[in-house]
Amino acid sequence: MKKEKTRIIDLSLSTGKMSNELYLNLVMVGVLIAMFTLGSLFINHFFSMSTVLNIIANNWYIVILGIGVTFLLVSGHLDMSVGGIVAMAGVLSAFFCQTQNEGFSELGRGLGLPYGVAILLTLACCLVIGLINALFVAKMRVASIIVTLGTMLISRGVGQVVALGAQRSAGLPDVYGVIGNTPILGPIKIAAVIAALLVLIALFIEKRTVFGRRTYLIGANREAARLSGVKVERHIALLYLLNSLLAGITGILLASEMKAGISTRGTGFEFSALVVVLLGGANINGGFGSVLGMIVGALILGVVSSAAYGMLLRPEWQFILLAVVTFLAILAQRYLLDRRSR
Amino acid sequence: MEECVLQIRNLVRDFPGVRAVNDVSFDIKCNTIHCLVGENGAGKSTLIKILTGAFERTEGTILLNGKEYYAKNPKDAREKGISTLFQELNVVDQLTVEQNLTLGIEDSRFGFLLKTDKIKKIVAVLRDLEPSINPKEKVSRLSVAKKQIIEIAKAVASETNIIIMDEPTAALSESEVTRLFTIIRHLKEKGVTVIYISHRLDEIFELGDYVTVMRDGKHVGTKPIADVKDRTELIQMMIGKTVIESYQPKEEQAAEMLLELKEVSNHKLRNVSLSVKKGEIVGFYGLVGAGKTELVRAIYGADPYEGEIIYKGEKLGCSPEKTISAGIALVPEERRTQGLFTMLTIKHNISAMNLRRISKFGLLNTFQERSTAKEFIGRLNIKTDSMEKETSKLSGGNQQKVVFSKCLFANADLLLLDEPTRGIDVGAKSEIYSIIRGLAREGKTVLFFSSELPEILHSCDRIYLLYEGVVKAELKNGEGIDMQEIIRIVTGGNAA
Repeated sequence: MKKEKTRIIDLSLSTGKMSNELYLNLVMVGVLIAMFTLGSLFINHFFSMSTVLNIIANNWYIVILGIGVTFLLVSGHLDMSVGGIVAMAGVLSAFFCQTQNEGFSELGRGLGLPYGVAILLTLACCLVIGLINALFVAKMRVASIIVTLGTMLISRGVGQVVALGAQRSAGLPDVYGVIGNTPILGPIKIAAVIAALLVLIALFIEKRTVFGRRTYLIGANREAARLSGVKVERHIALLYLLNSLLAGITGILLASEMKAGISTRGTGFEFSALVVVLLGGANINGGFGSVLGMIVGALILGVVSSAAYGMLLRPEWQFILLAVVTFLAILAQRYLLDRRSR
Repeated sequence: MEECVLQIRNLVRDFPGVRAVNDVSFDIKCNTIHCLVGENGAGKSTLIKILTGAFERTEGTILLNGKEYYAKNPKDAREKGISTLFQELNVVDQLTVEQNLTLGIEDSRFGFLLKTDKIKKIVAVLRDLEPSINPKEKVSRLSVAKKQIIEIAKAVASETNIIIMDEPTAALSESEVTRLFTIIRHLKEKGVTVIYISHRLDEIFELGDYVTVMRDGKHVGTKPIADVKDRTELIQMMIGKTVIESYQPKEEQAAEMLLELKEVSNHKLRNVSLSVKKGEIVGFYGLVGAGKTELVRAIYGADPYEGEIIYKGEKLGCSPEKTISAGIALVPEERRTQGLFTMLTIKHNISAMNLRRISKFGLLNTFQERSTAKEFIGRLNIKTDSMEKETSKLSGGNQQKVVFSKCLFANADLLLLDEPTRGIDVGAKSEIYSIIRGLAREGKTVLFFSSELPEILHSCDRIYLLYEGVVKAELKNGEGIDMQEIIRIVTGGNAA
């Protein structure tokens, strides 16, 4: 009797209930709207286009870093080297295109290469860091947090050495500042538009390509992925290379914004990126997470910190405020997912 | 009238989709050696785990010396009088014999260990059992048999009146087994009741007073050994009798050679050579540890090996992605850790092994993926309300059907099935058998690895018997097949 009953299944409506991922993303969008509404109710002039644009202008870089970290976390790996790569890329991109003029001090002299070549060389250097990560994590199976903490120090160290512990800002060609400063709409510069393009590409890769799917398979069950014919090592290596490229791009864009390669830039970015990815609902052990969720997570943090600014909360309190929001959000996610699976 | 030390009444244990122990009731008489036999998956281990407190029971009662018995964990069970000698030994290699014996029960003052009478007593028990072991010796230098004796000494010293031994002879040599038996008889003289589990039937006749047979989670019977005529009767009880008749011999065909192994060896396998023709269902039978999983993983390229494997006339590469693209698929032994992506949906699981088939230039065709999932849910009768359901929420049988779908979608000509019916209920099992037969009708070739003889006899045209990584015999299935002979070979006897 019972057997007959369960056999009557309607598959014509193909999909059935919504996936956990969609559910969680909708919840987080709800939280984002709630936060924005709260800010608008209590702070004068908060509800405006310029607030929205400012939030985007102040957070685009964390979104680019978040893309790569999302993919890696979905595959079950961490990358703590992105902040260091940001600093290294900024300093190197400056060094490569600073003038060779003898008149400047040591910090003002560079290789005098055209800006385009400088960018390519910088990205190549970032790939070397990615390659080290790939070699140790994918090939030799060292825990990713150990390896990438090491490369975080290496890359920041390279930045420090090349910038002599300071920054490289003299003797830069004018083109160096263009992508970081050419306005598109209000406070939004070309750099933020590049971030948006990268997001679109990432969303497509994540959901619509074999590459994206394999990332989920590896994170959900590495051994089953291997036995299903996925070249696991090669895939993880590729993810690390891509992530180092994304971090390099972020570093170049941020340096262009400041018109300076600053060796202390990007300190703590690896944690900020991880936080927004986790806020977006990703599972720290892999197999679950999305770029879309990560963006919502970044926007929530952006709204909270600009609301805090609007409420004249002293800046030193910002960290604690963000921490509280992060804790609450992640607890709420766990609660909702657990309740749902019952 | 002997007294019963342990009375088990209507014991039930459910797992998702399976009733592992199904309404089992029997008594164990005081001061006897009570043997427990049954095939793999018959429910012996689950029963033992309930007794030792590793699992909770779903229903039923157990009376120990007439009183209600319930153990929270193995330690609690030991305090109440039931200790267990597990297959995996719980000794600490880095410590001395004496330290191992007193581990966890040391007396201390101000954090310093004290040498008390308790230690002397335990050491005395050990000397009584096996005088050749020096208590000051490091355990890492002892043989497996001696390590086992240390554990027995621990159990005896804690004055439990029931000791459970789960396949204690699996790793022992002949002379060590004899020695162990002497010790077990010695224990009996001292008034201990021993529950003895083994696959080796000879041991049961030699040692046991009573035997309880289990099959498919049910209690088949309990008898004094003296009342059991011979091995055949016991084997009959273990495997039932109805299953064998349902095998339909196929007509002999001169089919082409599909797979050939030449002298394949690795850490477990010893010079395995065999050949498989197109369209055959070939069974590989052996006990746990006979090397079945090692063989299937070698063929699939999941583990390295020496020797040659020829598939469709060409040498087979040694990695899963190479064997998959050559046309081989695997249903692995451990469904949840090797076969399924339990966090992901049914839809995403089914396509996982052959993403190429639903993509072009690396771009997924999600419409095709959905229709594929729909097709397999219908074809294999996977019970679910949605293809978007995470596979962790399915029952064991339905999970296994998802793994089968995954392999079928890979379009393989050769399917490797490693314990494909483990941990799933009887209904799903018979569905799996009919899927396997259907595959053979479509011209696919199936290698069926199992430690359950009835399903091998039920499904396979030809059977290889494995023992300790060696192919011991090759048999053709059919009416004249001699089950006793098979059991004799896989338990270590020589082929006639």
